[in-house]
Amino acid sequence: MNSPLAQSRLQQTTPLGSSDDDGLPAPPTHRPASDPRAALRPLADGQSEHAAIATSPTLPTKVDIRNINFFYGKAQALKNISLALYDRRVTAFIGPSGCGKSTLLRILNRIYELYPGQSAAGEVLLDGENILAPGLDLNRLRAKIGMVFQKPTPFPMSIRDNIAFGIRLYERLPQSELDERIESALRRAALWDEVKDKLRQSGLSLSGGQQQRLCIARAIAIKPEVLLLDEPASALDPISTQRIEELIAELKSDYCIAIVTHNMQQAARSSDYTAFLYLGELIEFDETERIFTHPKLRRTEDYITGRFG
Amino acid sequence: MVAEHIIKSYDEELQRLNNMIVEMGGLAESQLAAAVEVVIERDSDRAIRVVEGDAQVDQLEREIDNLAIRLLALRQPMARDLREIVAALKIASDLERICDYAANVAKRSIALAQSPPVGPVHALPGMARLALLLVKDVIDAYVARDADRAIEVWNRDEELDEMYASLFRVFLTYMMEDPRNIGPSTHLLFIAKNIERIGDHATNIAENVYYLVHGIPLEQARPKGDSSSLQVVAPERPAGQTGAR
Repeated sequence: MNSPLAQSRLQQTTPLGSSDDDGLPAPPTHRPASDPRAALRPLADGQSEHAAIATSPTLPTKVDIRNINFFYGKAQALKNISLALYDRRVTAFIGPSGCGKSTLLRILNRIYELYPGQSAAGEVLLDGENILAPGLDLNRLRAKIGMVFQKPTPFPMSIRDNIAFGIRLYERLPQSELDERIESALRRAALWDEVKDKLRQSGLSLSGGQQQRLCIARAIAIKPEVLLLDEPASALDPISTQRIEELIAELKSDYCIAIVTHNMQQAARSSDYTAFLYLGELIEFDETERIFTHPKLRRTEDYITGRFG
Repeated sequence: MVAEHIIKSYDEELQRLNNMIVEMGGLAESQLAAAVEVVIERDSDRAIRVVEGDAQVDQLEREIDNLAIRLLALRQPMARDLREIVAALKIASDLERICDYAANVAKRSIALAQSPPVGPVHALPGMARLALLLVKDVIDAYVARDADRAIEVWNRDEELDEMYASLFRVFLTYMMEDPRNIGPSTHLLFIAKNIERIGDHATNIAENVYYLVHGIPLEQARPKGDSSSLQVVAPERPAGQTGAR
């Protein structure tokens, strides 16, 4: 274990992708431009020194999560989480139950605020703007950051109105434009062909997989910039699951997507980056391929290979 | 060493795969040792048994293939587990080739025994000893998951290449001395080449052990000691002819 290659494997952080001298213009970054190791994210204060967090020097950051601490009452659920969600990339959050991955997702559109006693400290920068700042317009925020939950949550209304409902909250469109928007959302969610002849039927009449795609259509109809998916396929059969994964692959050309999943194969198949959380800490963040082939840390490897005690 | 899987039968299957590779490695060692002995001892009966013994190795390789494919399909292995299985597949195929070469050495010994002994045959055991050591060491490195030891094997193959290159020159000279030597010397040359190739397969296994342990390939170009592929032996010119040009 003392060869030079073994040494390099133990390094805490390594740059991803191309090197700094590839001639590309520097991407927009919130990190100090003078940092000679711009590709390396310095460990945030208090962040576990045993974490391995790699960042891409070239991809534009859409959501920059910085030093997030989260509390359910007095219980700390997240400890100093810092990571970047890249634009037009899919980032998967994995980890055992209770590790904080869903909590992290729920911070990103401040949905946790609906519950008393929950509080977040730190910053989440969406295109540089701190969305955790007090006084932020939550309606505007949730129009930019859409969310789909584990269980399909269609409204008890027609398929068409399920989509129109969200749009009407934010925009007033003429009938023809509204119809166009509904059709395009359903098409993008790969549901149009199955429901185009029954738009007036209740959304609850659809199958589970269809309902989930309806919820995705509803989320993208308001043209968000970020899409949060909280175990979107965990209650679906394998075929519906594959449709959702195919949809994620389609949608990532336009959105920044974060997905929480317990299904490791699903994370491996559908994401570009993967964050492994454990007991409220971010343990390792890297390209998905790296995480699932040779992660830097033993803890990550034990988890993904099913050795977790 | 490595923590156990939550699913115990997964560990058992990986262990079984590991044991089969070790068993195959043991067979490769004994086949190679026996093959070289029958060349020296000119024992054709035993040579036939070595040639027939190859079937057992082929059978073991098929079993390893089946188990590895089963594991890939049913367990969806990741990271280290995936490397364990992929490495086992590749190592099994290298061991199978090593045994093929050993069987071929034994086969040639039968032909060799039909003509009078040739001198340079005594250079073979030294070369075979080194090849045997490389195979043994690389299997030990696999068992111990010891990448450093695998790198040692990888480096020592150069010695074997050099031995082959010098034997090549010896056989060639021997053939030029007396055309009656050409038949047996050609067999010996192929035998030496087979042993040299066995070293190459041992280095392949070493690379797989390294990859298995570290998750990154052993990239540097392997040192090459065999220059015989580039060797030219010119016949002596008849007297009186000038070296024009």
